[in-house]
Amino acid sequence: MNRYDCFEFLAPLIKDQLVIGSLSGQRVEWGHLCRHEGNLLVASMGAALGIGVGLALVLPHRKVIVLESDGSLLLSLYNLPTLGNLSLPNLAVFVFDNEVYSGTRISEPSATAGKTDLAGVARSCGVERAMTVREIESFKLEAKKALEENVLRFLVCKVNPTTRHRQIERPNEDLWEHKYRFVRYLERTEGKKIFLGRG
Amino acid sequence: MQFIGATVETELAAKIVGALKEAGISFVSYLPETRLSQIMPLLREDPSFMLVPVANEAEGVSIAAGASLGGRPAAVYMEGSGVYISSYNLLVLGKRLGVPMLLLVAYYGSILDKRNSFLYAFPGIHLIPILRSLDIQYEVFQSGESLEDKIKGAVKMMHAIKQPVALLFTGAFTA
Repeated sequence: MNRYDCFEFLAPLIKDQLVIGSLSGQRVEWGHLCRHEGNLLVASMGAALGIGVGLALVLPHRKVIVLESDGSLLLSLYNLPTLGNLSLPNLAVFVFDNEVYSGTRISEPSATAGKTDLAGVARSCGVERAMTVREIESFKLEAKKALEENVLRFLVCKVNPTTRHRQIERPNEDLWEHKYRFVRYLERTEGKKIFLGRG
Repeated sequence: MQFIGATVETELAAKIVGALKEAGISFVSYLPETRLSQIMPLLREDPSFMLVPVANEAEGVSIAAGASLGGRPAAVYMEGSGVYISSYNLLVLGKRLGVPMLLLVAYYGSILDKRNSFLYAFPGIHLIPILRSLDIQYEVFQSGESLEDKIKGAVKMMHAIKQPVALLFTGAFTA
């Protein structure tokens, strides 16, 4: 299963959900396939899940989707006990696990290439609906459920390491511009001011 | 607000919580510690605050960033050591992405820390240099004097610059 194929399935399903992404090729691929104003692709390892939790807490009527990677989640495993304890029903977490640190030109294996089972870690932290999928058809089935159902889902998607993202032109929008676009979209769709401070 | 028979710590804690509310803070992620812990029951009693316990201050910063971007002015309550632990998240979310949040920091190991010891002194000595290296605006509180005005001003500052602002509590807050 390839991450790009998963994203091709997922992107048309995004309407008014908020999508929080981390770093690596997934940021480039998702940004290319889904130009949604509700994307917040933070370009940092270990931060997307926490931001998604914060957004899901304060906007309980909005679906929040987090796109994580194995390297990013391994860097921030401390999020999982909080995720399990809060069990936010409006949150869906996808972990695209290619079992390598592929940001480098020479990929090095991550812990999930060994004995670490991220869905198992999440379950032991209290995330009841945590599972692993390895085939695109299973992904489609579970991803649709994750988007439609009002229950916390944590889907580890085992994907091949690919260099697909290197064929895509990188976004030229800097992070402040990206953030403002996201916040203005939220202000418009929520009907409230988010950024305060008199001009 | 009056506390009959209350300790100084409780009165100061009430001043902090009242000032946070007055300044518009409505979300607090926290990893509890000793020196400012009297704020916790007061925050918990007030339904205007949404509270989230975390396991790591870096997580506290990320969750507060999400809350802030979702429209709830947010604070992170932590011990001084939490600034070290969350420094990467403060840099990439607070500074590089530009997300306003208030850091409520128990400034342990400072010269005015009444509980200072060999355990706390070294992290305390390096705390302000770390904030300066991150270019995070900060204010040191030694007593409750002008506390409400300073907290209000710090919250205005974080909204104005859309970045974290740190409040460091020592002296009378460390009894």
